[in-house]
Amino acid sequence: MSSKDRIQVATSFILQSPPGEINDVLNDVRVIVDDDERLEEGVLPALREYNLAQFTTVDVPGEHHQTIVSEFARVPGSDEERYLDPRSKTSFIFNHLTLEATDPQSEEPSEAESQRAALESAALSYLSSHYHDGVATIFAMSTTQFVVQIVSNKYNPSNYWAGRWRSQYEIDFESRSIQGKVLVNVHYYEQGNVQLNTSHDLSISIPAAVSSVPHTSAASKIFALIEAEESRCQTSLNDSYHEMGEKTFKGLRRALPLTRQKIDWDKTMGYKLGAELIASNRAFGAHPR
Amino acid sequence: MADGVDPVDSMLDLMRRLPPTNVEENVNALIQICPDYADDLLGSVDQPLKVRTDRATGRDYLACDYNRDSDSYRSPWSNEYDPPLEDGTVPTPKLRTLEIAANEAFDAYRELYYEGGVSSVYLWDLEDGGFAGVVLLKKVMTPTTPDEPSGSWDSIHVFETAERGRQAHYKLTSTVMLELVTKQNNKAEETFVVGEPEKKSSQQGWKSSGEVTLSGSMTRQIEQDWPVHEPTSHIMNTGKMVEEMEIKMRNLLQEVYFGKTRDIVYDLRSMDDLEKARRQKELQKELVGFIKR
Repeated sequence: MSSKDRIQVATSFILQSPPGEINDVLNDVRVIVDDDERLEEGVLPALREYNLAQFTTVDVPGEHHQTIVSEFARVPGSDEERYLDPRSKTSFIFNHLTLEATDPQSEEPSEAESQRAALESAALSYLSSHYHDGVATIFAMSTTQFVVQIVSNKYNPSNYWAGRWRSQYEIDFESRSIQGKVLVNVHYYEQGNVQLNTSHDLSISIPAAVSSVPHTSAASKIFALIEAEESRCQTSLNDSYHEMGEKTFKGLRRALPLTRQKIDWDKTMGYKLGAELIASNRAFGAHPR
Repeated sequence: MADGVDPVDSMLDLMRRLPPTNVEENVNALIQICPDYADDLLGSVDQPLKVRTDRATGRDYLACDYNRDSDSYRSPWSNEYDPPLEDGTVPTPKLRTLEIAANEAFDAYRELYYEGGVSSVYLWDLEDGGFAGVVLLKKVMTPTTPDEPSGSWDSIHVFETAERGRQAHYKLTSTVMLELVTKQNNKAEETFVVGEPEKKSSQQGWKSSGEVTLSGSMTRQIEQDWPVHEPTSHIMNTGKMVEEMEIKMRNLLQEVYFGKTRDIVYDLRSMDDLEKARRQKELQKELVGFIKR
């Protein structure tokens, strides 16, 4: 296998990393590929893709909050990996391997800043109501288009589990629509490897009344819609759990046979087998002692 | 090798982390990178069992690494390899007799617990005089409509036995792979805009679709001694052990799949308003303080 193909396989492994286990996967891949030099430069695009797709968060230099390193946060017109934190209006260079932000620079707020800031404050109050460790970032794409990203991570390696909730909403006040997706990944790995993966796509229309009210009240109405939608997502996930447990799980294997008793191997099987196996027992000859 | 770590250990660690739904592709990719470790990998990573049909008897059987010889698989029903192999490994006549009986016994077990599916038992001699075997069970539920859930259960029970006088010592390693998938398609129902029930009509554009996949495998091991009166005692003994183990593992899977993973989702996002709960707690504290005064 050519080293290019090996790097490609390594890339696919990295992109499949469960929440919070990217370093463990990287360590395994390092040993398996056994070519540190090529790996280091080869996997950088994979790490970048993983970080952006997984809503990786970073401490903003000089601030007391985190922001999401996102495709929407990319500062255009530069070759460097420079990303914007719209909340502090700071941009920084992000290292996709060490996950560190450096070289902070202040950026000019966009025209849509007052609307964006209103959405941000509604987002933060929504976070404190429903997320234990959530981070939300709101990006202004134009004066009428905004993107909301929310991520919540829980890593508990000592109890062998990890989880990640990601949601993203593209809000368009002009077409009065919200396109959203919610993705949940859970990994439970004590003496096993069990994963929950859910994806949920949704679209909501924004009532005409909402787009015409002042920014702060429009923002809180938008987040009321999002809150209702995410709760519905969770309820529907609960329904799926119920259905899988009641229908699929029970249908695959019974807890006990119809008789509600365990098999009496000595008797039932023994008699049946005994009758059928007299001949074969002879074939065994002397039983080894 | 980097840091003197055994690559096989790293491969197994990797397979414990990557999504169980991709296990076949990922094992193949690893074999491409490290062909020298193909046997180690195929022997230690459990993969979903493949259902094949015995050409001689028309019965379905299960294919895995334990009944594989080069690219052919041996059927437990006819003892034949497919594609045919002239010198394919088969059990000694004595062990084959026991294998036939074990296949009948576990086929009855399968019917009682799975009410469908496929089972296969393969036995092989060990160098030290004992023997080993694998009991395989698989059931797949295919949905009849796109909205119905689907699922599959694969059991792999590998055991080794050594006789000691009238007793035999058994070591059983069991893996169950379970996959459950549900698709949802929702259209606007009795929905309304929060806080604005009069805006009911404005929600007509609401729709959502989703997919939930719970998949994975769990492995457990047990060692026990059981009396052996005759060769078929081995079938009763492994039968009891496999049955006990599957009952335990079914409970465990139920707990992890429907309990643990669900709890973790609620750890990520709370259905209840946390802010409200915090305020209530504060209020309670104040009240308690007030009463104490």
